Amino acid sequence: MSVSSKRDDLGALVRETRAISSPFRTYLNELYTKFLPLRDGAVANYIPELARANPDAFGISVVTMDGRIFSAGDHQQLFTIQSVSKPFVFALAMEKHGREFVNSKVGVEPTGDAFNSLIRLDETSKRPHNPMVNAGAIATADLITAKDSASRLRLIMEMFRRFAGRDLNVDMSVFISERSTGHRNRAIAHLMLNFGMIGPKVDETLDLYFQQCSMLVNAQDLALMAATLANKGIHPTTGEKAVDPQYIRDMLSVMLTCGIYDYSGEWAYRVGIPAKSGVGGGMLGVVPGKMGIAVFSPPLDERGNSVRGRAVFEQMSIDLGLHIFESAGAKLPGLLP
Amino acid sequence: MTANIATAVALTGRRVAIIDTDIQSPGIHVLFGLEEQRMNKALNDYLWGNCLIQDTAYDVTPPEVSSGGGQMFLVPSSLNPGEIARVLREGYDVSRLIDGIRDLIAALSLDYLFIDTHPGLNEETLLSMTISDALVIILRPDSQDYLGTAVTVELARRLEVPRMLMLVNKVPQGMDVEAVREKVQNAYRAPVAGVLPLSNEVMLLASSGIFILRAPRHPLAQQIRDIAADVVS
Repeated sequence: MSVSSKRDDLGALVRETRAISSPFRTYLNELYTKFLPLRDGAVANYIPELARANPDAFGISVVTMDGRIFSAGDHQQLFTIQSVSKPFVFALAMEKHGREFVNSKVGVEPTGDAFNSLIRLDETSKRPHNPMVNAGAIATADLITAKDSASRLRLIMEMFRRFAGRDLNVDMSVFISERSTGHRNRAIAHLMLNFGMIGPKVDETLDLYFQQCSMLVNAQDLALMAATLANKGIHPTTGEKAVDPQYIRDMLSVMLTCGIYDYSGEWAYRVGIPAKSGVGGGMLGVVPGKMGIAVFSPPLDERGNSVRGRAVFEQMSIDLGLHIFESAGAKLPGLLP
Repeated sequence: MTANIATAVALTGRRVAIIDTDIQSPGIHVLFGLEEQRMNKALNDYLWGNCLIQDTAYDVTPPEVSSGGGQMFLVPSSLNPGEIARVLREGYDVSRLIDGIRDLIAALSLDYLFIDTHPGLNEETLLSMTISDALVIILRPDSQDYLGTAVTVELARRLEVPRMLMLVNKVPQGMDVEAVREKVQNAYRAPVAGVLPLSNEVMLLASSGIFILRAPRHPLAQQIRDIAADVVS
Protein backbone atom coordinates (compact mmCIF):
# COMPACT_ATOMS: atom_id res chain seq x y z
CA MET A 1 0.00 0.00 0.00
CA SER A 2 1.61 3.29 -0.96
CA VAL A 3 1.68 6.32 1.28
CA SER A 4 0.03 9.26 -0.37
CA SER A 5 2.28 12.05 0.93
CA LYS A 6 5.81 12.81 -0.22
CA ARG A 7 8.66 12.64 2.26
CA ASP A 8 9.14 16.08 3.72
CA ASP A 9 11.96 15.71 6.18
CA LEU A 10 12.69 19.42 6.24
CA GLY A 11 9.07 20.20 6.99
CA ALA A 12 9.01 17.53 9.67
CA LEU A 13 12.19 18.92 11.25
CA VAL A 14 10.75 22.43 11.27
CA ARG A 15 7.50 21.17 12.81
CA GLU A 16 9.29 19.17 15.47
CA THR A 17 11.53 22.08 16.36
CA ARG A 18 8.63 24.48 16.66
CA ALA A 19 6.63 22.03 18.72
CA ILE A 20 9.46 21.67 21.24
CA SER A 21 9.66 25.40 21.79
CA SER A 22 5.96 26.18 21.91
CA PRO A 23 4.09 27.40 25.00
CA PHE A 24 1.68 24.53 24.55
CA ARG A 25 4.42 22.05 25.35
CA THR A 26 5.20 24.04 28.48
CA TYR A 27 1.52 23.72 29.38
CA LEU A 28 1.70 19.92 28.97
CA ASN A 29 4.79 19.86 31.18
CA GLU A 30 2.83 21.81 33.80
CA LEU A 31 0.02 19.25 33.63
CA TYR A 32 2.59 16.51 34.04
CA THR A 33 4.12 18.18 37.08
CA LYS A 34 0.71 18.89 38.57
CA PHE A 35 -0.69 15.38 38.26
CA LEU A 36 2.38 13.22 38.79
CA PRO A 37 1.90 13.40 42.60
CA LEU A 38 -1.67 12.13 42.19
CA ARG A 39 -1.13 8.62 43.49
CA ASP A 40 -4.69 7.36 43.81
CA GLY A 41 -5.77 4.14 42.19
CA ALA A 42 -3.93 0.91 41.53
CA VAL A 43 -2.22 -0.74 38.63
CA ALA A 44 -4.31 -3.49 36.95
CA ASN A 45 -3.35 -6.88 38.29
CA TYR A 46 -5.63 -9.46 36.70
CA ILE A 47 -2.56 -10.74 34.90
CA PRO A 48 1.01 -10.57 36.25
CA GLU A 49 2.37 -8.65 33.24
CA LEU A 50 0.07 -5.72 33.90
CA ALA A 51 0.73 -5.86 37.65
CA ARG A 52 4.40 -5.12 36.91
CA ALA A 53 3.67 -1.67 35.47
CA ASN A 54 5.41 1.31 37.06
CA PRO A 55 2.75 3.30 38.94
CA ASP A 56 4.68 6.52 38.35
CA ALA A 57 4.87 6.09 34.59
CA PHE A 58 2.98 9.04 33.15
CA GLY A 59 2.96 10.41 29.61
CA ILE A 60 0.88 12.98 27.75
CA SER A 61 0.79 13.54 24.01
CA VAL A 62 -1.22 15.88 21.78
CA VAL A 63 -1.20 15.93 17.98
CA THR A 64 -2.66 18.73 15.87
CA MET A 65 -4.18 18.51 12.40
CA ASP A 66 -1.00 19.76 10.77
CA GLY A 67 0.99 16.95 12.37
CA ARG A 68 2.69 18.81 15.20
CA ILE A 69 3.32 16.53 18.17
CA PHE A 70 3.50 17.96 21.69
CA SER A 71 4.48 15.60 24.46
CA ALA A 72 5.45 15.50 28.10
CA GLY A 73 6.67 12.80 30.43
CA ASP A 74 6.80 9.15 29.40
CA HIS A 75 5.16 9.67 26.04
CA GLN A 76 7.21 6.96 24.38
CA GLN A 77 6.88 4.26 26.97
CA LEU A 78 5.10 1.23 25.56
CA PHE A 79 2.07 -0.44 27.14
CA THR A 80 -0.70 -2.72 25.89
CA ILE A 81 -3.57 -0.96 24.17
CA GLN A 82 -6.33 -3.16 25.71
CA SER A 83 -9.81 -1.69 25.25
CA VAL A 84 -8.57 1.40 23.42
CA SER A 85 -8.36 -0.91 20.40
CA LYS A 86 -12.09 -1.59 20.41
CA PRO A 87 -13.51 1.38 18.48
CA PHE A 88 -10.95 0.80 15.74
CA VAL A 89 -11.87 -2.85 15.25
CA PHE A 90 -15.52 -1.73 15.27
CA ALA A 91 -14.75 0.55 12.31
CA LEU A 92 -12.85 -2.21 10.54
CA ALA A 93 -15.87 -4.51 10.91
CA MET A 94 -18.10 -1.84 9.37
CA GLU A 95 -15.68 -1.30 6.49
CA LYS A 96 -15.92 -4.99 5.81
CA HIS A 97 -19.64 -5.64 6.32
CA GLY A 98 -21.36 -2.28 6.31
CA ARG A 99 -23.09 -0.46 9.12
CA GLU A 100 -26.44 -2.30 9.06
CA PHE A 101 -24.91 -5.73 9.33
CA VAL A 102 -22.63 -4.78 12.18
CA ASN A 103 -25.53 -3.08 14.00
CA SER A 104 -27.45 -6.34 13.74
CA LYS A 105 -24.66 -8.08 15.66
CA VAL A 106 -23.71 -5.42 18.20
CA GLY A 107 -25.86 -2.73 19.76
CA VAL A 108 -24.83 0.84 20.57
CA GLU A 109 -26.40 1.35 23.99
CA PRO A 110 -24.26 2.20 26.98
CA THR A 111 -24.75 -0.50 29.55
CA GLY A 112 -23.63 1.45 32.57
CA ASP A 113 -21.71 -1.66 33.51
CA ALA A 114 -18.08 -2.04 34.50
CA PHE A 115 -15.49 -3.08 31.93
CA ASN A 116 -15.43 -6.65 33.13
CA SER A 117 -19.13 -6.86 33.71
CA LEU A 118 -20.91 -10.14 34.05
CA ILE A 119 -21.95 -12.05 31.03
CA ARG A 120 -24.79 -9.93 29.81
CA LEU A 121 -26.46 -9.70 26.49
CA ASP A 122 -29.58 -7.81 25.56
CA GLU A 123 -32.59 -9.78 26.82
CA THR A 124 -34.55 -9.80 23.60
CA SER A 125 -32.11 -9.40 20.74
CA LYS A 126 -29.30 -11.30 22.46
CA ARG A 127 -26.88 -8.77 20.96
CA PRO A 128 -24.03 -7.52 23.11
CA HIS A 129 -24.89 -3.99 24.21
CA ASN A 130 -22.14 -2.05 22.43
CA PRO A 131 -18.70 -2.62 20.86
CA MET A 132 -16.86 -1.25 23.90
CA VAL A 133 -17.86 -3.95 26.41
CA ASN A 134 -15.99 -7.22 26.14
CA ALA A 135 -18.91 -9.11 24.64
CA GLY A 136 -19.36 -6.49 21.95
CA ALA A 137 -15.66 -6.31 21.26
CA ILE A 138 -15.47 -10.07 20.83
CA ALA A 139 -18.44 -9.94 18.50
CA THR A 140 -16.79 -7.26 16.35
CA ALA A 141 -13.50 -9.16 16.34
CA ASP A 142 -15.49 -12.13 15.11
CA LEU A 143 -16.58 -10.03 12.14
CA ILE A 144 -12.98 -9.48 10.99
CA THR A 145 -13.08 -12.42 8.65
CA ALA A 146 -10.38 -13.78 6.34
CA LYS A 147 -9.13 -17.12 5.14
CA ASP A 148 -7.13 -17.94 8.26
CA SER A 149 -6.15 -16.56 11.66
CA ALA A 150 -2.89 -15.03 10.37
CA SER A 151 -4.77 -13.12 7.68
CA ARG A 152 -7.35 -11.92 10.19
CA LEU A 153 -4.63 -10.59 12.47
CA ARG A 154 -2.93 -8.98 9.49
CA LEU A 155 -6.09 -7.02 8.68
CA ILE A 156 -6.17 -5.65 12.21
CA MET A 157 -2.43 -4.91 12.38
CA GLU A 158 -2.56 -3.18 8.99
CA MET A 159 -5.37 -0.97 10.16
CA PHE A 160 -3.49 0.00 13.31
CA ARG A 161 -0.39 0.67 11.24
CA ARG A 162 -2.35 3.16 9.14
CA PHE A 163 -3.72 4.84 12.23
CA ALA A 164 -0.46 5.03 14.17
CA GLY A 165 1.76 5.72 11.19
CA ARG A 166 4.11 2.91 12.12
CA ASP A 167 4.12 -0.87 12.52
CA LEU A 168 2.92 -1.99 15.93
CA ASN A 169 3.72 -5.24 17.71
CA VAL A 170 1.83 -7.62 19.95
CA ASP A 171 3.25 -8.25 23.41
CA MET A 172 3.40 -12.02 23.35
CA SER A 173 3.64 -12.58 27.08
CA VAL A 174 0.56 -10.45 27.71
CA PHE A 175 -1.30 -12.23 24.92
CA ILE A 176 -0.51 -15.66 26.29
CA SER A 177 -1.37 -14.57 29.80
CA GLU A 178 -4.72 -13.12 28.69
CA ARG A 179 -5.49 -16.18 26.67
CA SER A 180 -4.81 -18.58 29.50
CA THR A 181 -6.83 -16.61 32.07
CA GLY A 182 -9.60 -15.21 29.91
CA HIS A 183 -12.31 -17.54 31.22
CA ARG A 184 -15.01 -14.92 31.44
CA ASN A 185 -14.30 -13.83 27.87
CA ARG A 186 -14.37 -17.41 26.75
CA ALA A 187 -17.71 -17.90 28.47
CA ILE A 188 -19.13 -14.74 26.86
CA ALA A 189 -17.97 -15.97 23.47
CA HIS A 190 -19.61 -19.33 23.84
CA LEU A 191 -22.82 -17.76 25.08
CA MET A 192 -22.89 -15.56 22.00
CA LEU A 193 -22.19 -18.54 19.77
CA ASN A 194 -25.13 -20.23 21.43
CA PHE A 195 -27.37 -17.35 20.38
CA GLY A 196 -25.88 -17.11 16.90
CA MET A 197 -24.31 -13.71 17.60
CA ILE A 198 -20.90 -14.95 16.54
CA GLY A 199 -19.69 -17.59 14.13
CA PRO A 200 -18.25 -21.01 15.01
CA LYS A 201 -14.54 -20.04 15.01
CA VAL A 202 -14.67 -19.11 18.67
CA ASP A 203 -11.06 -19.94 19.59
CA GLU A 204 -9.71 -18.13 16.55
CA THR A 205 -11.82 -15.08 17.34
CA LEU A 206 -10.78 -15.09 20.96
CA ASP A 207 -7.12 -15.33 19.98
CA LEU A 208 -7.62 -12.39 17.66
CA TYR A 209 -9.34 -10.44 20.41
CA PHE A 210 -6.59 -11.16 22.94
CA GLN A 211 -3.88 -10.22 20.39
CA GLN A 212 -5.69 -7.01 19.56
CA CYS A 213 -5.76 -6.10 23.26
CA SER A 214 -2.09 -7.00 23.69
CA MET A 215 -0.82 -4.66 21.01
CA LEU A 216 1.95 -2.37 22.24
CA VAL A 217 1.52 1.37 21.85
CA ASN A 218 2.75 4.52 23.53
CA ALA A 219 0.94 7.78 24.32
CA GLN A 220 2.31 9.34 21.16
CA ASP A 221 0.90 6.52 19.03
CA LEU A 222 -2.54 6.93 20.63
CA ALA A 223 -2.43 10.70 20.12
CA LEU A 224 -1.62 10.16 16.44
CA MET A 225 -4.46 7.66 16.15
CA ALA A 226 -6.84 10.12 17.81
CA ALA A 227 -5.61 12.93 15.57
CA THR A 228 -6.27 10.75 12.53
CA LEU A 229 -9.86 10.41 13.68
CA ALA A 230 -10.02 14.16 14.31
CA ASN A 231 -8.63 14.69 10.82
CA LYS A 232 -11.45 12.86 9.00
CA GLY A 233 -9.49 9.63 8.86
CA ILE A 234 -6.29 11.01 7.31
CA HIS A 235 -3.11 10.52 9.29
CA PRO A 236 -1.72 13.97 10.03
CA THR A 237 1.92 13.18 9.28
CA THR A 238 1.87 10.29 6.79
CA GLY A 239 -1.17 11.60 4.94
CA GLU A 240 -2.47 8.05 4.61
CA LYS A 241 -6.19 7.33 4.77
CA ALA A 242 -6.65 5.07 7.78
CA VAL A 243 -10.40 4.48 7.71
CA ASP A 244 -13.45 5.18 5.60
CA PRO A 245 -14.53 8.59 6.94
CA GLN A 246 -18.22 7.63 6.93
CA TYR A 247 -17.58 5.39 9.96
CA ILE A 248 -15.83 7.98 12.06
CA ARG A 249 -19.11 9.23 13.40
CA ASP A 250 -19.98 5.68 14.45
CA MET A 251 -16.70 5.35 16.33
CA LEU A 252 -16.89 8.74 17.99
CA SER A 253 -20.53 8.53 19.04
CA VAL A 254 -20.03 5.13 20.64
CA MET A 255 -16.85 6.40 22.31
CA LEU A 256 -18.71 9.38 23.71
CA THR A 257 -21.51 7.31 25.20
CA CYS A 258 -19.70 4.10 26.06
CA GLY A 259 -15.96 4.76 25.95
CA ILE A 260 -15.07 5.27 29.58
CA TYR A 261 -16.73 2.20 31.15
CA ASP A 262 -18.94 3.07 34.06
CA TYR A 263 -17.85 6.71 34.02
CA SER A 264 -19.02 7.43 30.50
CA GLY A 265 -21.96 9.55 31.61
CA GLU A 266 -19.88 11.74 33.91
CA TRP A 267 -17.21 11.91 31.23
CA ALA A 268 -19.62 13.15 28.60
CA TYR A 269 -20.77 15.69 31.16
CA ARG A 270 -17.41 16.86 32.50
CA VAL A 271 -15.00 16.35 29.61
CA GLY A 272 -17.37 16.18 26.67
CA ILE A 273 -15.17 14.63 24.01
CA PRO A 274 -15.28 11.14 22.50
CA ALA A 275 -12.68 9.07 24.27
CA LYS A 276 -11.64 5.53 25.08
CA SER A 277 -9.79 4.16 28.07
CA GLY A 278 -8.00 0.87 28.57
CA VAL A 279 -6.77 -1.05 31.58
CA GLY A 280 -3.20 -0.87 30.29
CA GLY A 281 -3.37 2.74 31.51
CA GLY A 282 -3.95 4.35 28.14
CA MET A 283 -6.62 6.87 27.30
CA LEU A 284 -7.26 8.65 24.03
CA GLY A 285 -9.60 11.52 23.21
CA VAL A 286 -10.64 13.07 19.92
CA VAL A 287 -11.41 16.75 19.35
CA PRO A 288 -12.77 16.68 15.79
CA GLY A 289 -11.02 19.10 13.47
CA LYS A 290 -8.59 20.16 16.16
CA MET A 291 -6.47 17.52 17.84
CA GLY A 292 -5.92 14.06 19.20
CA ILE A 293 -4.98 13.70 22.87
CA ALA A 294 -3.61 10.72 24.75
CA VAL A 295 -2.50 10.03 28.29
CA PHE A 296 -0.66 7.03 29.67
CA SER A 297 -0.65 6.29 33.38
CA PRO A 298 -1.12 2.73 34.70
CA PRO A 299 -2.89 3.34 38.05
CA LEU A 300 -6.62 2.86 37.53
CA ASP A 301 -9.63 3.90 39.57
CA GLU A 302 -12.25 1.37 40.68
CA ARG A 303 -13.97 1.66 37.31
CA GLY A 304 -10.85 0.73 35.35
CA ASN A 305 -9.98 4.22 34.09
CA SER A 306 -6.54 5.81 34.41
CA VAL A 307 -6.65 8.19 37.38
CA ARG A 308 -4.15 10.67 35.95
CA GLY A 309 -5.74 10.24 32.53
CA ARG A 310 -9.06 11.48 33.86
CA ALA A 311 -7.40 14.35 35.69
CA VAL A 312 -5.51 15.52 32.59
CA PHE A 313 -8.54 15.32 30.31
CA GLU A 314 -10.80 17.10 32.80
CA GLN A 315 -8.26 19.91 33.18
CA MET A 316 -7.57 20.24 29.45
CA SER A 317 -11.26 20.29 28.66
CA ILE A 318 -11.71 23.32 30.90
CA ASP A 319 -8.47 25.08 29.94
CA LEU A 320 -8.84 24.63 26.21
CA GLY A 321 -12.62 24.66 25.96
CA LEU A 322 -12.74 21.19 24.41
CA HIS A 323 -16.25 20.10 25.48
CA ILE A 324 -18.28 19.61 22.33
CA PHE A 325 -21.08 21.66 23.87
CA GLU A 326 -18.77 24.35 25.25
CA SER A 327 -20.54 27.64 24.66
CA ALA A 328 -18.66 30.01 26.92
CA GLY A 329 -15.11 29.66 25.63
CA ALA A 330 -11.83 28.28 26.96
CA LYS A 331 -10.38 29.27 30.30
CA LEU A 332 -6.96 29.77 28.63
CA PRO A 333 -7.92 30.71 25.08
CA GLY A 334 -4.47 31.70 23.82
CA LEU A 335 -3.08 28.30 24.51
CA LEU A 336 -4.58 26.17 21.77
CA PRO A 337 -1.68 24.92 19.65
CA MET B 1 32.45 37.34 17.52
CA THR B 2 29.54 36.50 19.84
CA ALA B 3 31.68 37.39 22.83
CA ASN B 4 32.62 40.74 21.32
CA ILE B 5 29.09 41.67 20.35
CA ALA B 6 27.74 40.64 23.75
CA THR B 7 30.46 42.66 25.46
CA ALA B 8 29.65 45.68 23.31
CA VAL B 9 26.03 45.45 24.46
CA ALA B 10 27.05 45.00 28.10
CA LEU B 11 29.26 48.10 27.85
CA THR B 12 26.08 50.15 27.40
CA GLY B 13 25.09 49.22 30.94
CA ARG B 14 23.02 46.09 30.27
CA ARG B 15 22.76 42.69 31.95
CA VAL B 16 23.92 40.24 29.33
CA ALA B 17 24.61 36.52 29.28
CA ILE B 18 26.15 34.17 26.77
CA ILE B 19 25.31 30.50 26.63
CA ASP B 20 27.72 28.20 24.79
CA THR B 21 25.50 25.54 23.23
CA ASP B 22 28.40 24.21 21.16
CA ILE B 23 28.57 21.11 23.27
CA GLN B 24 30.76 19.28 20.78
CA SER B 25 33.46 21.96 20.66
CA PRO B 26 33.10 24.38 23.56
CA GLY B 27 35.45 27.30 23.66
CA ILE B 28 33.93 30.69 24.31
CA HIS B 29 34.87 30.65 27.97
CA VAL B 30 38.51 31.06 26.97
CA LEU B 31 37.85 34.60 25.83
CA PHE B 32 36.63 35.49 29.30
CA GLY B 33 39.52 33.88 31.10
CA LEU B 34 37.21 31.39 32.78
CA GLU B 35 39.57 28.61 33.80
CA GLU B 36 38.60 25.00 33.75
CA GLN B 37 39.18 24.60 37.50
CA ARG B 38 36.70 27.36 38.25
CA MET B 39 34.09 25.66 36.05
CA ASN B 40 32.34 23.53 38.62
CA LYS B 41 29.12 23.04 36.72
CA ALA B 42 28.56 23.44 32.98
CA LEU B 43 25.58 23.36 30.63
CA ASN B 44 25.97 19.57 30.37
CA ASP B 45 25.20 19.20 34.08
CA TYR B 46 22.00 21.16 33.68
CA LEU B 47 20.93 19.15 30.63
CA TRP B 48 21.38 15.91 32.54
CA GLY B 49 19.18 17.21 35.31
CA ASN B 50 21.95 17.54 37.89
CA CYS B 51 21.40 21.19 38.75
CA LEU B 52 19.47 24.36 37.96
CA ILE B 53 20.46 26.46 34.97
CA GLN B 54 21.53 29.37 37.18
CA ASP B 55 24.05 27.06 38.89
CA THR B 56 25.92 26.89 35.58
CA ALA B 57 26.17 30.66 35.09
CA TYR B 58 29.46 32.38 35.94
CA ASP B 59 29.88 36.10 36.44
CA VAL B 60 32.54 37.10 33.90
CA THR B 61 31.96 40.86 34.01
CA PRO B 62 35.08 42.66 32.79
CA PRO B 63 35.95 45.82 34.74
CA GLU B 64 35.13 48.06 31.76
CA VAL B 65 31.60 46.63 31.72
CA SER B 66 30.97 46.89 35.45
CA SER B 67 32.15 50.50 35.49
CA GLY B 68 29.49 51.18 32.87
CA GLY B 69 26.81 49.59 35.06
CA GLY B 70 26.56 46.41 33.04
CA GLN B 71 27.01 42.78 33.97
CA MET B 72 28.02 39.69 32.01
CA PHE B 73 27.41 36.02 32.69
CA LEU B 74 28.56 32.95 30.84
CA VAL B 75 27.06 29.46 30.76
CA PRO B 76 29.89 27.31 29.44
CA SER B 77 29.77 23.81 28.00
CA SER B 78 31.97 21.17 29.53
CA LEU B 79 35.55 20.71 28.37
CA ASN B 80 35.77 17.28 29.85
CA PRO B 81 36.13 14.82 26.94
CA GLY B 82 34.24 12.19 28.91
CA GLU B 83 31.28 14.51 29.38
CA ILE B 84 31.35 15.55 25.73
CA ALA B 85 31.42 11.89 24.77
CA ARG B 86 28.47 11.21 27.05
CA VAL B 87 26.37 13.85 25.32
CA LEU B 88 27.32 12.49 21.92
CA ARG B 89 26.42 8.95 22.92
CA GLU B 90 23.33 9.51 25.02
CA GLY B 91 22.02 12.80 23.78
CA TYR B 92 19.85 14.80 26.15
CA ASP B 93 16.30 16.07 26.45
CA VAL B 94 16.36 19.02 24.03
CA SER B 95 13.25 20.49 25.55
CA ARG B 96 15.34 20.99 28.67
CA LEU B 97 17.61 23.33 26.72
CA ILE B 98 14.64 25.48 25.76
CA ASP B 99 13.32 25.53 29.31
CA GLY B 100 16.81 26.32 30.60
CA ILE B 101 17.17 29.30 28.30
CA ARG B 102 13.85 30.71 29.46
CA ASP B 103 14.69 30.05 33.12
CA LEU B 104 18.12 31.65 32.77
CA ILE B 105 16.67 34.89 31.44
CA ALA B 106 14.25 35.02 34.34
CA ALA B 107 16.68 33.95 37.06
CA LEU B 108 19.38 36.47 36.14
CA SER B 109 16.99 39.27 35.06
CA LEU B 110 18.80 39.48 31.77
CA ASP B 111 18.34 42.22 29.23
CA TYR B 112 19.88 40.07 26.52
CA LEU B 113 20.92 36.47 26.11
CA PHE B 114 23.33 35.55 23.36
CA ILE B 115 23.17 31.93 22.28
CA ASP B 116 26.43 30.80 20.72
CA THR B 117 25.93 27.78 18.50
CA HIS B 118 28.00 25.19 16.69
CA PRO B 119 28.42 26.13 13.04
CA GLY B 120 25.91 24.57 10.71
CA LEU B 121 22.82 22.57 11.46
CA ASN B 122 22.13 20.63 14.57
CA GLU B 123 19.33 20.37 17.09
CA GLU B 124 20.66 23.03 19.45
CA THR B 125 21.00 25.54 16.61
CA LEU B 126 17.50 24.86 15.33
CA LEU B 127 15.95 25.17 18.75
CA SER B 128 17.93 28.32 19.50
CA MET B 129 16.71 29.82 16.23
CA THR B 130 13.13 29.00 17.07
CA ILE B 131 13.08 30.82 20.37
CA SER B 132 15.29 33.76 19.43
CA ASP B 133 14.12 37.28 18.76
CA ALA B 134 17.04 37.92 16.43
CA LEU B 135 19.45 35.70 14.57
CA VAL B 136 22.91 36.84 13.49
CA ILE B 137 24.42 34.55 10.89
CA ILE B 138 28.16 34.90 10.71
CA LEU B 139 29.97 33.82 7.59
CA ARG B 140 33.26 34.30 5.81
CA PRO B 141 33.30 35.44 2.18
CA ASP B 142 34.11 31.94 1.05
CA SER B 143 32.24 29.63 -1.32
CA GLN B 144 31.82 26.90 1.25
CA ASP B 145 30.38 29.33 3.79
CA TYR B 146 28.04 30.80 1.17
CA LEU B 147 26.57 27.36 0.51
CA GLY B 148 26.24 26.40 4.14
CA THR B 149 24.67 29.74 4.93
CA ALA B 150 22.00 29.23 2.27
CA VAL B 151 20.83 26.17 4.15
CA THR B 152 20.76 28.01 7.47
CA VAL B 153 18.87 30.94 5.96
CA GLU B 154 16.21 28.66 4.49
CA LEU B 155 15.65 26.95 7.79
CA ALA B 156 15.57 30.24 9.66
CA ARG B 157 12.86 31.46 7.29
CA ARG B 158 10.84 28.30 7.76
CA LEU B 159 11.22 28.56 11.51
CA GLU B 160 9.93 32.15 11.18
CA VAL B 161 12.76 33.78 13.07
CA PRO B 162 11.51 37.34 13.70
CA ARG B 163 14.73 39.06 12.65
CA MET B 164 17.71 37.82 10.69
CA LEU B 165 20.97 39.69 10.14
CA MET B 166 23.99 38.65 8.13
CA LEU B 167 27.49 39.37 9.37
CA VAL B 168 30.41 38.77 7.05
CA ASN B 169 33.68 38.36 8.87
CA LYS B 170 37.34 37.99 7.92
CA VAL B 171 37.17 39.69 4.54
CA PRO B 172 40.73 39.58 3.22
CA GLN B 173 42.57 42.66 2.03
CA GLY B 174 42.02 43.08 -1.68
CA MET B 175 38.42 41.92 -1.63
CA ASP B 176 35.85 44.65 -2.37
CA VAL B 177 33.85 45.10 0.84
CA GLU B 178 30.90 46.78 -0.86
CA ALA B 179 30.73 44.07 -3.50
CA VAL B 180 30.64 41.48 -0.72
CA ARG B 181 27.88 43.36 1.09
CA GLU B 182 25.78 43.53 -2.07
CA LYS B 183 26.39 39.90 -2.91
CA VAL B 184 25.32 38.70 0.52
CA GLN B 185 22.29 40.98 0.66
CA ASN B 186 21.09 39.77 -2.74
CA ALA B 187 21.88 36.12 -2.16
CA TYR B 188 19.98 35.85 1.13
CA ARG B 189 17.60 38.83 0.90
CA ALA B 190 18.45 39.78 4.45
CA PRO B 191 20.02 42.95 5.89
CA VAL B 192 23.78 42.87 6.33
CA ALA B 193 24.72 44.11 9.78
CA GLY B 194 28.40 44.40 8.92
CA VAL B 195 31.24 43.35 6.68
CA LEU B 196 34.37 43.04 8.79
CA PRO B 197 37.91 42.83 7.50
CA LEU B 198 40.28 40.06 8.37
CA SER B 199 42.34 41.62 11.09
CA ASN B 200 45.85 40.62 11.94
CA GLU B 201 45.45 42.19 15.37
CA VAL B 202 42.50 39.95 16.11
CA MET B 203 44.46 36.91 14.91
CA LEU B 204 47.37 37.86 17.15
CA LEU B 205 45.07 38.16 20.15
CA ALA B 206 44.25 34.52 19.38
CA SER B 207 41.08 34.43 21.49
CA SER B 208 42.95 35.19 24.68
CA GLY B 209 40.67 38.10 25.41
CA ILE B 210 37.84 40.29 24.17
CA PHE B 211 39.14 42.34 21.23
CA ILE B 212 36.97 45.39 21.73
CA LEU B 213 38.21 45.71 25.31
CA ARG B 214 41.87 45.17 24.42
CA ALA B 215 41.83 47.56 21.46
CA PRO B 216 38.84 49.85 21.94
CA ARG B 217 40.07 52.46 19.50
CA HIS B 218 40.74 50.02 16.67
CA PRO B 219 38.34 50.69 13.74
CA LEU B 220 37.20 47.10 13.92
CA ALA B 221 36.14 47.63 17.53
CA GLN B 222 33.94 50.54 16.45
CA GLN B 223 32.41 48.45 13.67
CA ILE B 224 31.59 45.76 16.21
CA ARG B 225 30.01 48.27 18.56
CA ASP B 226 27.87 49.56 15.67
CA ILE B 227 26.80 46.05 14.82
CA ALA B 228 25.90 45.37 18.45
CA ALA B 229 23.74 48.50 18.53
CA ASP B 230 22.00 47.31 15.38
CA VAL B 231 21.40 43.83 16.76
CA VAL B 232 19.67 45.03 19.91
CA SER B 233 17.76 47.89 18.33
